[in-house]
Amino acid sequence: MIEILLIYAIIPLIKIAVIVLFLSGAIAYLTLLERKLIAHIQVRLGPMRVGWHGLLQPIADGLKFLLKEDIVPAKADALIFTIAPAISLLPAFLVFAVVPFGPPDMLKDFLSWILGWFPFLNLDPETIARIAENSIASGGYVTDINIAVLFVLSVSSVGILGIILGGWASNSKFPLLGALRSSAQMVSYEVALGFAIIGVLLVAGSLSLVEIVQNQQQEQIWYVFVQPVAFVLFFICGLAETNRLPFDLPEAETELVGGFHTEYSGFRFSLFFLAEYANMIAVSAIGVILFLGGWLRPFPNSDWLSFLDFIPGVLWFLGKVFMFLYIFIWLRGTLPRFRFDQLMQYGWKIFLPVALGNVVVTAAVLLAFL
Amino acid sequence: MKTTVEESTVLDAKVLELNMGPQHPSTHGVLRVKLKLDGERVLDAECIIGYLHRGVEKISENRSYIKCVPYYDRTDYIAAVSNVYGYLLGVEAMMQIEVPKRAQYIRIMMTEFSRISSHLLWLATHAIDIGAMTVFLYCFREREEILKLFEALFGARLTTHAFRVGGLWKDLPAGFEEAARKFIDEFPERVDEYEQLLTKNRIWMARTQGIGVISGKEAIEWGLTGPVLRGSGMKHDVRKDRPYGGYEEFDFDVPVGENGDTYDRYLVRLEEMHQSRRIIQQVLDRLPDGPVRGKAPKIVKPPVGEYYSGIDGPRGELGYYIVSDGSAQPFRVRIRPPTFISLQVLRRLVRGHLMADVIAIIGTLDIVLGEVDR
Amino acid sequence: MMDFLRRIFFVDILKGLALTFRYTYRKVYTEQYPLEKPKLAGRYRGAPRLNNDPVTGETLCIACDLCAEICPEDLIVVGSQRDPESRKKVLTHYTFDTSRCLFCGLCQEVCPTNAIELTQDFELAAYDRRSMVWDRKQLEKGWDRIHFGKDYHK
Repeated sequence: MIEILLIYAIIPLIKIAVIVLFLSGAIAYLTLLERKLIAHIQVRLGPMRVGWHGLLQPIADGLKFLLKEDIVPAKADALIFTIAPAISLLPAFLVFAVVPFGPPDMLKDFLSWILGWFPFLNLDPETIARIAENSIASGGYVTDINIAVLFVLSVSSVGILGIILGGWASNSKFPLLGALRSSAQMVSYEVALGFAIIGVLLVAGSLSLVEIVQNQQQEQIWYVFVQPVAFVLFFICGLAETNRLPFDLPEAETELVGGFHTEYSGFRFSLFFLAEYANMIAVSAIGVILFLGGWLRPFPNSDWLSFLDFIPGVLWFLGKVFMFLYIFIWLRGTLPRFRFDQLMQYGWKIFLPVALGNVVVTAAVLLAFL
Repeated sequence: MKTTVEESTVLDAKVLELNMGPQHPSTHGVLRVKLKLDGERVLDAECIIGYLHRGVEKISENRSYIKCVPYYDRTDYIAAVSNVYGYLLGVEAMMQIEVPKRAQYIRIMMTEFSRISSHLLWLATHAIDIGAMTVFLYCFREREEILKLFEALFGARLTTHAFRVGGLWKDLPAGFEEAARKFIDEFPERVDEYEQLLTKNRIWMARTQGIGVISGKEAIEWGLTGPVLRGSGMKHDVRKDRPYGGYEEFDFDVPVGENGDTYDRYLVRLEEMHQSRRIIQQVLDRLPDGPVRGKAPKIVKPPVGEYYSGIDGPRGELGYYIVSDGSAQPFRVRIRPPTFISLQVLRRLVRGHLMADVIAIIGTLDIVLGEVDR
Repeated sequence: MMDFLRRIFFVDILKGLALTFRYTYRKVYTEQYPLEKPKLAGRYRGAPRLNNDPVTGETLCIACDLCAEICPEDLIVVGSQRDPESRKKVLTHYTFDTSRCLFCGLCQEVCPTNAIELTQDFELAAYDRRSMVWDRKQLEKGWDRIHFGKDYHK
C-alpha cells in the first residue's frame, strides 16, 4: 500500500513541487540574465543596486508586482480579463510534466538512500529497492507518456488563447491589434514547427520524449546532425512561438506599446511576463530533447568522450537549455523586428515548404536506405 | 480623398481609428497621429501637432537680439548648435559684423559635430523603432563623446548656447583638439559597426526598402529639404548651393540616394556623417590662430530691414527670416523648421502601408517635435 | 549564387551576432551615476553662486544690475541701496530663480567683477518650487545637495 502510494502519488507530487519551484526561480533569474546580458551587449551594466550586481533584482521586481494596485479597466470584460493571464501561464508550466530532465533511473541511488531515512515508513530494503527500480518514481521526469510530443504541441497552443483573450478583453485598440497579430503568428508558425518536429519523429520512431533521447543514445548521435534543417526551422519557429525578437510583433513596444498586455499591470502583468519566459524555457527544453540529446553528453555512448561522463545528465540538460536561452537573448540584442506581413510570408512561403520538403526527403531516405 | 476611405476596407469592415500618440514610444516626442486602419493597413493618417508649442517666435519679439539666442537652443534641441548658428549668421549679416577666421572655422566644426550627433540620435531612435535596440546604445555612446566636447567648449551638453554675436564665448579649451581628433579617428570604425548590424541585415532591409517612397520631383513639390530630399536623388545642399560662414573653403560631397525610400535615406545619413567627419578633419588641420570674437557692439541693433538666413541643418534647410525695425528687439523672427515641413508628407507616405511602417516612416523623416511645434 | 548561399546560411545575421558577442565581454561604457560622479568640464554651467572676495569675505557684487538686465527670463532680482557716505551702491538682496533658469550663462558673461558664476554643481532638484528661488545667503553658500540617505554621495 505504502509502496504504491509512494510510487504513484507522493514521489511524483514532490517532483512536481520541485519542478514548479525550480521553474519559478529559473524564470525569475532568466529575467535577470536577460537584463544583464543585453546590458553587457550594449556596453552597460544593467541592474546593479539590489544585491551584489543586482542578484536580488528579480525578488524585488516580484514584490513590486505583488504590491501594485490591481487595475481592471472600466470597459474591460472583467472575468476574461482576470483569467487570461492564468490561461497563458498554466500551459507553459504544464509542458514540463512530460519534459525529461534526466534518464529514467536518475533518482535511483538518491531514492534508495533517502527512503532509509524515514523510519516511520517501516520500509524493508527490498521494498526500497523496488521503489527505486520503478521508473515512475525514479525517472528524471514527472511522467513519460507515449504521446508526449503531441501533448506538448497541444498544450502549448492553449497558451495562445490567454494572449488572445487578454488582448480582446482589454477592450482597447492596441491590445486588440497585438492579440490579432499573435493569433495569426502562432497559427502559421505552429504548422511549420509541427512539420519540423515530424522530421525528428520519423528518425526517432517514437512520440515519447524519453524514448527520443534514448534513441539518440543508441545511435550515438544527436539528432541535430541528422536533421539540421529541421533544427534551424524548429529554432526559428520556436522564436516566433515564444514571441521573441525578431518575431515579437504581438508585443512590439515601439509599435503597439506592449501589444496584448498594454492594459495589464501589477500581478496580472507579471503572470504574462512569467508565461513568456516559461515558454522560452519550455521551447528550449523541447529543442534540447529533440535535437541536442536531452541529458546526453556529446556523441553519447561513444568511448572517446567518456571522460565527460562524470557530469550528471541533468546538468548536461540544463546546460544545453541555458545555451538555448542565451542564444534567444543574444538574438534579441542583435536583430531588428520583422513586419507583420513579412512574418507571414516567411512562415507560409519559406518555412512551411522547407519543413514539408524536409519531411519528404527524410521519409524518402528512411524508406530507401533503412 | 476622404470619401474613398470608408470604401476601401477589404472586407467591407468598419474603419479602425487609432490614436498613435501623443504618448507613444515611437512618435519621437508628442506627435499625435490619428490613423485610420483597415486591420493593419493604413488608410489615412492625420498628424496633430502643437503639444510642445512654446511660442518661441513670439518670445523672440519680446527679447533683445542677444537674449533670443538661448531660446533657439530649445526649438530643435537635438541640434541646438546648428539652430543658433543659423540665427546668428542672419544677425551678423544684418549688422555687417566681421567674424574672425578662427571663430568661423570653429563654428563650422561644431556645427558638423552637431550634425553627427543629431544623425546618431536619429539612427539610434530609428533603429530602436524597428526593433534593433543595441544600435540605440552604441549610437548614444558616440553621441556622448560629442556631448563631452560640447560641454568642454560651450559649457553645456544639450542646450548649448553655442555661439555669440561676433564669434564665440571662449576659445577652445586645452585638450579639445586632441579629443576631437581622437573622436574622428575612431568614428569610421563605429559607423562600420552600425553598418554591420543593420545595412546588410535582411530584416532591416525588408523593413526599410520600398517603404515611404517619394520621387525627387514630388519631394521638391512638398518642400522637403535635407536628407529626406537627398534620399530621393536631388542634390540639394545649402552648404554647396549658397555657401555661408566659410563652407566654400572645405571639400565635401553631397551624398544622394536613388530610390527615395527609407533605406536610401538611411544610407544618405550614414554617408553624411562621414562627410561631416571629413569637414571636421579639414578644420582641425587648417585651424588658424587669432581671436575668436570679432568687434560687436554691446547692444545689437540691426538697421531696418529684412534678412533670410538659411543653413543646412541636420534635418534640412533651417531658415531664420528676421525683420528688424531698428530697435534692439526683432520685429519678427520667423523660423523655417525643416521637420515641420517634412512632417506634412507623412500622410502621403504612410497611405497603403502597414502600421509598423508608420513607425519606420516617422523615424526616417527624423522629426523633432520641439522644432515642429516651436 | 554567392548571394543565395549567404542568405540561406544567415551570413548577415551571424555577422551581427559576432559583433554583439564581441561587445558582451568588453568593458562597459556607462558610469554608475549616483555612486560615480561624472567629471564635468570647467566651463559647465550649473548651479549659480554669488562669489565673495576670498580675502576680505565681502561680496564681489557691485549691484550694477547688468545680470538682471541681460537675463532672458528676468529671473535675477538685484536689490541695492546707495551708501550715503561713499556714494556707492551696496547690495542689499539678490534672488535667483533656478527653476526658470535657462543656464545660458549670459549673466556670468556680463558680470564685470565675476560675482555671479555658474558652477559645476548640477543636482538642482528640490522638494518644492519655492525653495528653487535662491536668496543671497544660499547663493553665497553655493548649492548644498539634497541628501537622499547614507552613503549616497560618498
